Amino acid sequence: MNPTIVETVNVAREVAWLPWAVQYFFLIGLSYGAFLISLPGIVGRRPGWTGISRLALLGALLCGLTAPVALLADLHQPGRFYHFYLYFTPSSWMSWGAFFIPVYLTGLILYAWLALRPLLAQQAADGNLSPRLAALCRTLAYGGHESRGALLAAAALAFVGAALVALYTGMEVMVVQARPLWDTPLLPVQFVVTALAGGIGLTLLLQRFAPAAAGAPETLRLARALAATQLLALLVGAVWLALGLSGLSPSHAQALAQVAPSASWKLTAAWAAGSAALTLWLALRHPGSGVLIGLLALHSAWMMRWTVFIGGQEVPKTGAGFYQYHLPLGHEGLLGIVGTFGLWIALFVALTALLPVARLGGENGRTNI
Amino acid sequence: MKEMRNGSGEPPVAAPNPHACAESVSASRRAFLRGIPVLTVGAVAAPALAEAPGAQAGAHWGMLVDVRKCIGCQACTVACIHENAVPEGSFRTIVSTYSVKQADDAAQPAGTYVLPRLCNHCDNPPCIPVCPVGATFKRADGLVLVDGERCVGCAYCVQACPYDARFINHETGKADKCTFCGHRLDAGLLPACVETCVGGARIFGDLNDPEGELRRRMKAAGSELKVLKPEAGTKPRVFYIGLDERFQGKVEGQGALWKPESHGG
Repeated sequence: MNPTIVETVNVAREVAWLPWAVQYFFLIGLSYGAFLISLPGIVGRRPGWTGISRLALLGALLCGLTAPVALLADLHQPGRFYHFYLYFTPSSWMSWGAFFIPVYLTGLILYAWLALRPLLAQQAADGNLSPRLAALCRTLAYGGHESRGALLAAAALAFVGAALVALYTGMEVMVVQARPLWDTPLLPVQFVVTALAGGIGLTLLLQRFAPAAAGAPETLRLARALAATQLLALLVGAVWLALGLSGLSPSHAQALAQVAPSASWKLTAAWAAGSAALTLWLALRHPGSGVLIGLLALHSAWMMRWTVFIGGQEVPKTGAGFYQYHLPLGHEGLLGIVGTFGLWIALFVALTALLPVARLGGENGRTNI
Repeated sequence: MKEMRNGSGEPPVAAPNPHACAESVSASRRAFLRGIPVLTVGAVAAPALAEAPGAQAGAHWGMLVDVRKCIGCQACTVACIHENAVPEGSFRTIVSTYSVKQADDAAQPAGTYVLPRLCNHCDNPPCIPVCPVGATFKRADGLVLVDGERCVGCAYCVQACPYDARFINHETGKADKCTFCGHRLDAGLLPACVETCVGGARIFGDLNDPEGELRRRMKAAGSELKVLKPEAGTKPRVFYIGLDERFQGKVEGQGALWKPESHGG
């Protein structure tokens, strides 16, 4: 008996978490990843890290401010976002997330302000700004004092927030048993590892605009950290595959069985493993290729989320075969992706108009911190 | 399934309800039609009938789909769309249709297998705990519903449903699903899909009524009585007779040949 089944009539459920969701998970991941990279230089005062840590902080801030916009846009009733705060539901990770995000962002914004205040004052004084911008800079600097205690407190709050955000974003997806591809304890780990890699990648990219922080030793440090994340990513991937192939974990085996026959899924898996391996090799052998490995890491972090969310929703829960997703060009698709990056760039322009990347990345400001 | 049968071990509502009422909501279409004269007479005699039988004390609504009687005509699909104003391209219920061929027998023509699908109104619904605003809930009479005033359209419930029974309604921007036609139940009517079923394949009724047609038919089915994805632990309250195990979970086969066009968004 080898019956062949062809589905002739069935409903094709469309993707309900849109590319907006991919953008949110990508940006919030980059944000907390970059935030962690900001700690050694700013909180730990490790020599040689000040410039790159400040650049990482800029990246964390930019992504942290953009991410919630993408999240709101993914709601089909964005105007009702306040319902999250009116009707707290402890059984839902998403409900918890609505409270974790403000904790993280409050901590992050405070931390960034306290860390950058002295630089803002410096920039107002000798930054060749127009009088208006200089006045704005001075106002924002609010005296430009260094307040170490407050900085550490804000960093601690942001760290707790970052940990909670990392936890909830992973758990929210992991608990969906209806999707075997999501229902794995390894998924939150994969999110964190790729987020960290993406945060490093973003810092490497920003470093490109700050010659002072683009020195060989700084790039080398970031490249080494990036190599570690790629090794970890490959290891976690191998564990996932082993669990699926060995049948030790039924949910992994089921997930593998669902996607293994598909050529496009095979290509995606090979692509992910290949780019992680390439990034690892480049980061070890050619650590100077800062921008290249940075872009590779960013691309891997984005691809991973695209595959998990959009690819995961292409697997029918009851029907045969796969649903086909075609990226719409409007706000539900391409425009949403381009729009979030556009917002990111607009914020980048606004923030760096006050504090140029060169000053952020320079070690010279360190004496004033 | 077993625990469900025993689970209703609470004292069955002893109240001698106007029998016509119980009859009307615990019946396949034919039995329902047979009951109409009684119902009509009863309605005149007893104004209490105007009260919502949905609120009938202790009722727990369920459905039995006798796949052997389904002819795949999609009358239920169409009736549901009309009754509930389901937007084009979306479905609260559909009869999944499969062409099945025995590969080792080239001479034999392919047969057709049909499987009506809808929300299973699970007793352990995975869609409810994930809702971040508590908009989706299970009513005392077993219906799993969405509070449209509260829903933010985050689609988390759509992800959590193991049966692909939920979707985002693009006209309302909210989560949408089968309601067992709760509004009709409240008016003493059967769900639209049940009422319209040509073959009498959908039997609807009170799972707590051991004498009702639903429970009698379920009992008669014995080990033939099945649910979709029993391993998911969701305790569906939509039961099947004639459910081939190859179709009980995710179907292994070639994907749908026909798909609805996507709506305008």
